[in-house]
Amino acid sequence: MLKVEKLESGYGSMQVLWGPDLEVKAGSITSLLGPNGAGKSTLLWTILGTVTPTNGKVYFEGQDVTDLPAHKKVNLGLTMVPEGKNLFKEMTVFDNLSMGAYRKEAQEVKQENLELVYSMFPILAERKDQLAGSLSGGQQQMVTIGRALMTKPKFIMMDEPSQGLAPKLIMEIFQTIVKMKEEIGLTILLVEQNAAASLGAADYVYVMHEGSIKAEGTPDEIKGSDEIKEAYLGM
Amino acid sequence: MIFEQLSGNLIQGLVLGAVYGMATMGLSLIFGVLKVVNVGHGACIMVGAYTALFMFKQFGLSPLFAVPVAMIIGMTLGLIFYYSAIRRLLKGPELATLLATFSFGVILEETIKQLFTSEVVGYNWDLPKFDIGITVLSLSKILAAVGSILVALLLYLWFNKTRAGMAMRSVVEDDDGARVCGVNVDWEYALSFSLGIGLTVTSGVLLTMFIPVGINPYMGGPYTLKAFVIAVLGGLASPYGAFFGGVVFGLVENGSYTLFAMIPGVEPFAMTRFFSFVMLLVILLIRPTGILKAK
Repeated sequence: MLKVEKLESGYGSMQVLWGPDLEVKAGSITSLLGPNGAGKSTLLWTILGTVTPTNGKVYFEGQDVTDLPAHKKVNLGLTMVPEGKNLFKEMTVFDNLSMGAYRKEAQEVKQENLELVYSMFPILAERKDQLAGSLSGGQQQMVTIGRALMTKPKFIMMDEPSQGLAPKLIMEIFQTIVKMKEEIGLTILLVEQNAAASLGAADYVYVMHEGSIKAEGTPDEIKGSDEIKEAYLGM
Repeated sequence: MIFEQLSGNLIQGLVLGAVYGMATMGLSLIFGVLKVVNVGHGACIMVGAYTALFMFKQFGLSPLFAVPVAMIIGMTLGLIFYYSAIRRLLKGPELATLLATFSFGVILEETIKQLFTSEVVGYNWDLPKFDIGITVLSLSKILAAVGSILVALLLYLWFNKTRAGMAMRSVVEDDDGARVCGVNVDWEYALSFSLGIGLTVTSGVLLTMFIPVGINPYMGGPYTLKAFVIAVLGGLASPYGAFFGGVVFGLVENGSYTLFAMIPGVEPFAMTRFFSFVMLLVILLIRPTGILKAK
C-alpha cells in the first residue's frame, strides 16, 4: 500500500530524516517505534507532504506521490491523525467531522461514515453540538480519529494516539485501532512511544532512531531481541 | 439639549460604525487566515473610493453599481499581489510581509495619482435626506450602512453554511488540521487574501457614500489607523468581531466628539483621535484578545 524509499527531509538546514526505507502492506497495522526525537513525526508529515522531501521516494498504491501536495494525497485515500490533534477547537464536534468529509468522494458517503463514527464513539453523538475545544483529552482524540475516518481513507497514519490518556482510555484507543483494521479494512501506520501496547496490536514493526530505520520484524521477533529492546525501546 | 445632540450624534455614529466595521472585515480576514497585517489597507479603501467616483462621473452610475465592480477589482488585485509577492514571503519573517503590504499601498497610491492626479475631488450624489428629529440622515448614508450590514451578513452565512466557507474557517483554526481533511491550504490563502482585498476595496465605495468628498490618492492613512483600532477591538482575527468593533468605534468616535466639543478651548476632532488611540492602548493592556472574545 505504502512504500518509502531513502526518504530525506528536515526543517531549514537541520536534516531530520536520513533515508529510512519502509513498507506498509495493505490491510496491516504497521508500527513505527523509537525514542523521542527519532524523526517519527517528521516521517509522517513528510509522507503527507507538509514537510518537503529533499531526497527519496514515496509510493502509494504503486503510484509515485513524493511531490504531491497534502490535499491531493487525501484525495487518494491517505490521511493522518496528528499528534497535536490539530482539531478545529472553535467549531462544533459535528462541524469537525463534517470537515473530515470535505473531499467530494467523502461527501457522498458522509451520512454512512457519520453513523460509523457515532457507533464507534457514542459519546461524540451526544456531544455533537459542543465546541471541540471544550471536550476532554480522550474525547478530542476520538474526534481526531473520527475526522480521519470521515475522509473515506484507505490508509491512516496515526501519530501517538494514546499520548496523554489514562490507561483505561489507552486500551480503548488500541481496541479501536484494531477494529479499524479488522472491521473497516483500513491499513494503518502507527507511531507510538507506548511500545508494549503497540507491539500487541501490530502486524509488523519498524524501529527508528536518529532519522533512519535500525531494525524491523514481526512483533515476536522484536520482543525476542533483547538487544533491540535495550538499545532503542528502553524495555 | 446636550442629550439630544449626543443621541443624534450616536445615531450617526451607529450608521457610520456599520461602514467602519465592514471596512475592517477584510483586514481581519487576511490577518486571521494568513497572519499578515495589511499595512496597505487604507490604499485599498482609496481605490474603492476612486472606483465609485470614476463610475459616477464618467458614466453617471450610482455608487451602488460600483459595489460589485469594486469587489471584482479588489479580488483581482488581491490575487495578483498574493501570487507575485505574499506567497513567497509567508515563510519569512513578519517584517517581510509588512514591508510588502506597505509597498503594495504605495504602488496603489502612485498608480492612482498617475491616473487621476493628486487633486482632492468628490462627487455629489443627490439623494433625499430624512429629518428624524434629533438628527438628519441622508438616504445615501442609510444605503451605505445597509449595504455594509448586508455584506457582513453574507460573509457570515458563507463562513458558516457553505462548504467553501467552512474550509476557510478550518484554515483559520488549524492549517495542518485542514490539510489532513484534504483542504488545499495554499489556495485558501490565495482566496482569503483576494477576498480580503475585495472587501476592503468595496468598503471604499461604501465610505464615499458616507463622505463623498476629500477623495485623493493619500486619503487612506487615517483609515488604516482606524482599522487597526477596530480590528483590535474585535479581537484581530475575527471578521465579525471586526464588524462589531466598527460599530463600537463609530459610537465612541461620535460620542466623544460631542462631549469634547462641550469643553471650551478644546479642538474636538483632534481629541477624538487621541481618545481612540488611548482606547487602543487600554484595550491592549487589559484585554489583548479584544472586547468581544469570551476568553
